[in-house]
Amino acid sequence: MKDAAAIRERFRERGFIVGEPFATALQLVIALEKPLLIEGPAGVGKTESAKTLADVLGTRLIRLQCYEGLDAQTALYEWNYPRQMLHIRLSEAEGASRESQEAHIFSDAFLLERPLLEAIRQDRSPVLLIDEVDRADEAFEAFLLEMLAEWQVTIPELGTIRARHKPHVILTSNRTRELSDALRRRCLFFWLPYPTLDEEIAILHARIPGLSARLANEIARVMEWLRDLHLHKAPGVAESLDWALALMSLHRDHLDTVALEQTIGCVLKVREDHGVFDVHRDRVAAILGAASLAPAASGEPGEAAGGHSLETDFGFGSVSRPAR
Amino acid sequence: MIHPFGSLPENLAAFCRMLAAEYGWHVGSGELHDAARALGVAPLEDEGVVRDVLRPVLCSNLDEVREFDVAFNRFFHGESTLPAGTSPATARRLWNSDASARITRRVRARSATSPEDADGAVERSRAASTVAAIESEDELDGEDAAPVHARLSPLAGEGEAPELSPVDAAWRQAARALVRRFAAGQARTWRSAPRGPRFDLRGTLRTGLHTGGEWLHPRWRARPRRRPRFVIVIDGSRSMAEAARAAMQVAVALASATSAVEVFAFSTELERITPDVRRAATGRTRRLPQLQHAWGGGTSIGACLEQFTRRFGARLLSPDTIIFIASDGLDAGDPDVLRNAVARLHRQSAAIVWLNPLVETPGFEPTARGMQIARPYIATLAWVGDATGLARLARSLRLRR
Repeated sequence: MKDAAAIRERFRERGFIVGEPFATALQLVIALEKPLLIEGPAGVGKTESAKTLADVLGTRLIRLQCYEGLDAQTALYEWNYPRQMLHIRLSEAEGASRESQEAHIFSDAFLLERPLLEAIRQDRSPVLLIDEVDRADEAFEAFLLEMLAEWQVTIPELGTIRARHKPHVILTSNRTRELSDALRRRCLFFWLPYPTLDEEIAILHARIPGLSARLANEIARVMEWLRDLHLHKAPGVAESLDWALALMSLHRDHLDTVALEQTIGCVLKVREDHGVFDVHRDRVAAILGAASLAPAASGEPGEAAGGHSLETDFGFGSVSRPAR
Repeated sequence: MIHPFGSLPENLAAFCRMLAAEYGWHVGSGELHDAARALGVAPLEDEGVVRDVLRPVLCSNLDEVREFDVAFNRFFHGESTLPAGTSPATARRLWNSDASARITRRVRARSATSPEDADGAVERSRAASTVAAIESEDELDGEDAAPVHARLSPLAGEGEAPELSPVDAAWRQAARALVRRFAAGQARTWRSAPRGPRFDLRGTLRTGLHTGGEWLHPRWRARPRRRPRFVIVIDGSRSMAEAARAAMQVAVALASATSAVEVFAFSTELERITPDVRRAATGRTRRLPQLQHAWGGGTSIGACLEQFTRRFGARLLSPDTIIFIASDGLDAGDPDVLRNAVARLHRQSAAIVWLNPLVETPGFEPTARGMQIARPYIATLAWVGDATGLARLARSLRLRR
């Protein structure tokens, strides 16, 4: 797939709305075979974009979730020691020679592949998601640099394994710490911001097909306003979807004061933010009034909110499909 | 689009050279090569597509994403400093390496919104006051243009932002002692270790392979210590004057001892200065850029600390974070805002260490309003003026845990 428009369309078919710039960045990941580092606020669809890319390309998604203390061994491979030991004991009983034992116990049958090794041994380029790379230690980041540059792993007992097909690599970061310049230089970079109003309406429709146009419009407007409020934890797209589902489960087809009181906990998750919201509560009526007066949006993404197109300066996405 | 040069490769090379020379981006031959390859896979008729293609290849952080369109417009739309009517030949001459050495034109436009204030704020247009320093030695018009400096800050003081200088061995040694002192709690994960509370069956089996399967060398598992993280918030208001410069030395020393350091300056606004401090820690003297409202003005400690928790709290505050606040506590802001901000920092960090230069004044009592409010939340109140002071602080500090 070499066309950004085709990528957009395929993503849209899977309920993931991407802008032209993000689609272009994904196109470059495929064309240049370079990793893509995606940064952005929590809940905008960084991880989900990798999952959707794998689905679109019809390939495997291999995920490496980073955390503090993650080491190369956990990410690459381990020998299955208990099994090796058992094999040694059995071989000894059978009288096998030491050479034949060694040749056997250090073979693929006793190798436990971890995500990075698994990614380079695929018959077809998989999508390798290195999630929340900022949570890993700097030592692991240095190891990752080598992997991303060479795409080969040396296992002393087996030799060097080179990637048959380079994986499509997506790295995500929530910026809990600054990543090194060296890692950044090896990657393409994309900043994934919150969606615009029209984009959010399109996401709501794409993800929750039965949602009324009015409710989607009102949710998107309130969310846009909330994100401008300097909250301690600004709500992401995941919160929009949760909120929409909560309102639907309460059989609401529009937002009013009562519905807002009942469900605001889906959106604001820090006590201080509720205080900020209370201070600005008067603004909500004006926002909902404006939303009600806005032209009714159709259920089709892209025709919502006064017919604005989905062309934006930045790409965007949404998070995982909400559980029903 | 204006193409200063005739061919695409020349334009691309000159654009990359401009980004590296004038904007300080890390754009080298590798990035140029990637950019050329990227342009090969996209239709070039649409300027928007060209931008979309070059942006992910040439930018490596949010800062650069923000600057990209300005640089692109400047280069390709004639918003550059080349005079109108400059022939391609002249432009080529000026852009080649010899000429670029003569043309030292720096245009730096820094948004008042910190690049780190990004989580959700990137597309919010805030009324950003801008500092622009334009230095021009353009030879085209045959006369030296005077440097122009503009500072749009009604509250700014007269003082220049300070110079960050590398620290000596004594400072570094004291900082390392401080980092060791603050060794945080144990990590979540277990790792193989020579000694530890858990028996490591896997490791022991692995070691047993060398001794014919006999378990002669038992291995253990232990949880390593987590690294402490330091946040240093320095009051750059007029009342702090020289003291803030000493606090900067503490920041540089800590940055030379550990990479888990974040440094901020504030006066009436907050500004992140970590990259400059890190560069100073590597041995390069560095003058801070104009910090606008974050240096030399009045003091609004509460509002700035609140700004810190809102913008950076989610990423930087944790039970492993030790916060140093270097301030004299002479606050002109709302006391409730300060109380709430310090209380929040107290809840979300390992300890607050308040560095107050007035501590060294004989008969000092923390009676300033800001100090009185913050006092219940402070683990240690001290001042560090030199390496000896930092070493003393390292010995005397106690964490809340």
